[in-house]
Amino acid sequence: MESLWSKLSAALPINEEQFPLQFSDKVESSVVEMLTRSRHQLYSTTRSNNQTLYAQVVLDISWERLNTGTWRDVDKDWRRLYSYGCLFKVAALCRESPSEHEILQAVRTCDMGLLMGAAVMDNILQVFVRILQSEIRKTTKEETDYVEAKRMKIVVPRVPPIKEELAVERIKCPSLESFNTKYLVPLKPVILEGIIDHWPALNNRPWSLEYLRSVAGCRTVPVEVGSRYTDEDWSQTLLTINEFIDKYILEKVQDSQSGERAVGYLAQHQLFDQIPELKEDIRIPDYCCLGEGDEDDITVNAWFGPTGTVSPLHQDPQQNFLAQVVGSKYVRLYSPEDTDKLYPHQSQLLHNTSQVEVENPDSERFPKFVRAPYLECVLQPGDVLFIPVKHWHYVRSLDVSFSVSFWWS
Amino acid sequence: MSWFGFGFNAFGQICVQEKSVQEETSDAVGEVKVSVPVELRSHVDHSCCLKTCQIRASWSRRACLHESRCVWLAGFSASSISNDTRGCRDAIISESHLTLAFPDRIESWDVQRKDKTPLWSMEIIPQSESSGIWIFECTEHQKITTNMLLHVFCHFHTGVNLPLVPGGYIASKPPIFRSLAPHLQAKSLALGGDHVILLTAPGAVYSWGLGSHGQLGHGGLVSEEEPRTVEALWGVPMSSVAAGGWHSVCISEGGDLYVWGWNESGQLGLPSRGLQKAPQQKKAQPTELSDVSTPEEEPHDGDKHEEVFISIQAFPALLDVNPSSDFQRASCGSRHTAAVTTSGCLFTWGWGEYGQLGHQTFNSLDEPRRVEFFKAKDLHVVDVVCGPWNTFTAAVKKGVLDLKNT
Repeated sequence: MESLWSKLSAALPINEEQFPLQFSDKVESSVVEMLTRSRHQLYSTTRSNNQTLYAQVVLDISWERLNTGTWRDVDKDWRRLYSYGCLFKVAALCRESPSEHEILQAVRTCDMGLLMGAAVMDNILQVFVRILQSEIRKTTKEETDYVEAKRMKIVVPRVPPIKEELAVERIKCPSLESFNTKYLVPLKPVILEGIIDHWPALNNRPWSLEYLRSVAGCRTVPVEVGSRYTDEDWSQTLLTINEFIDKYILEKVQDSQSGERAVGYLAQHQLFDQIPELKEDIRIPDYCCLGEGDEDDITVNAWFGPTGTVSPLHQDPQQNFLAQVVGSKYVRLYSPEDTDKLYPHQSQLLHNTSQVEVENPDSERFPKFVRAPYLECVLQPGDVLFIPVKHWHYVRSLDVSFSVSFWWS
Repeated sequence: MSWFGFGFNAFGQICVQEKSVQEETSDAVGEVKVSVPVELRSHVDHSCCLKTCQIRASWSRRACLHESRCVWLAGFSASSISNDTRGCRDAIISESHLTLAFPDRIESWDVQRKDKTPLWSMEIIPQSESSGIWIFECTEHQKITTNMLLHVFCHFHTGVNLPLVPGGYIASKPPIFRSLAPHLQAKSLALGGDHVILLTAPGAVYSWGLGSHGQLGHGGLVSEEEPRTVEALWGVPMSSVAAGGWHSVCISEGGDLYVWGWNESGQLGLPSRGLQKAPQQKKAQPTELSDVSTPEEEPHDGDKHEEVFISIQAFPALLDVNPSSDFQRASCGSRHTAAVTTSGCLFTWGWGEYGQLGHQTFNSLDEPRRVEFFKAKDLHVVDVVCGPWNTFTAAVKKGVLDLKNT
């Protein structure tokens, strides 16, 4: 029976000489020295506690560099360095018959590298995490009686009635040409029905809380906490998918301070790059080929959260297909022509976001808003909403919801 | 006077274990992290460090400035750096550069290359000592054809105060020389991770650089390209300033300590969410994303459960230290702070993962705590200098101090 370590080391180069450590001049030689020592530890036969220590040094110094300046300007080499640190830490954790806790720590370490680092050695962290996950599945008992339904509070959402004259048009499986002529070129919103029925996520591998736990429960993801990103107490944290479901979807944990349940939202995250197993369950809509960009330029984001998540009214610089997979969402759309009635924030950071609370507008501060024409809809599983570029949109989830968005040009 | 060091030591910049000891111990943790303060010794001459008058530290190295006006280096490939440092008055060291100040010139060397000439240098030609006018030439290693002649009025002073140099200051990354307007009356300057704190002769504080974590103290997260007064401190004359990775500290003439910037490891001495309450448990720090919270609210009296955590302090805050103390000097590492009181005590707080707080643990702290090691050994701390992940302190025996004072 192959040990965990033998599986992991099979993914590594056979010896120290074959293990690449190439960096630009920006990475100081003292830092490279730390990496060299770690690499030496990896292939050394003598036991040493230094393996964890050196890995931690690499992680700590690269974390500091990653937090220097603005994220956009961070040199890719520092992100690669961080990934190497994660690699060495995983090796240190799994070297000697690791406990389940240590394996989970190793998974978390891989995720940190995938989230904050840059791929090294043919994306070895992705290889590692797959090996680690299969190890966890072996050791964890399958809880077949996971009765999620009982633990979920039955929340009756405020489902807004959709006025017929304001409803977004719906069309079933239009041809590429028809979609192009009637909606893409004139930049007109529409709900496409029937175009994702073939997705495994809606078919043979239907997405549910149990399914997500089984595929990716121990994986760490970024979660937004707070009612909306324009609020002062909005923040981001890192949780495993199990923790996120327990705390923010099943309401097992109350927010002790206010008594109210805090809203947590796994939002705008490229989950499918991090967890390729879930990528297998979705497909890029064919209609994206009508754009000018490559398929590689399409940004796919996951939006997974409980009832009541709100995305304030905002606009994006690309075309958007918002595919609804689980649960339902209320969406309101405003045309870019009416931007003057929508009171965008002045600051650089939020100039693409409106100041108005769409479902509770302050008519004294924002008098023109009530006169702005709009379209609205409730998205159900299987619906795909086309949000034209720069079109203002407001979204509120009406129950536990999982949507996938495709940003394309 | 002796110097002590504690904290990060992976390159032997604090102390080096004897070879035989290294082979025997399989657990060499003590080598990389030094949690108990260690008296510094020179590798060359074991008595040498008694004459050390100042220490400078980068991530992987330590530089000792000796009374004899030369500079010794310890740490990562220190032996391969063979500069002639005789006559050197001051030095600063970053991970990539070593800058030396001589009476007639300032030189900046790239420590990663084995160049024969400095990367950058500046000549200082004192025109007239009494009139205080300096004229100097500045040449950059790369700019072969350009020579700049600068006429600058500045206060005449006998010592150089790196990183301040005539007309400006030496930065930790290129361009090495940055000019400073003379009207600022620069007295001392602290270089943070990506920001700069300036103390002026009248005791005002200016800041500029990256503001994303509140380290400029102007109340927001906006970066500044030019020196801007820290208005919240106006009216309180300051006597010293220090800057860390993402935080800043200053001490008033009256001995009060002010802090601002990022508090993710408790480096401001204010309650930090990331730290466990029980000092026995050490929580893993570096993987948490920080949150921005508004720092205005005070904890409600008597209601201990509603503790307010401060992640970013964008305006200077006066630090309450228990027991109440007058501070005379402070220094900041990457994510920790150390300060010396007029009564000779050393307080440290912030990130402690490598033992850099000197409390003989690897815990981080979000409130200032006295380093008992020095009190226990009857040592009066007189100075402190922090490297990014370690701390160096100068101390004298209490008895010696009393003798000197009588």
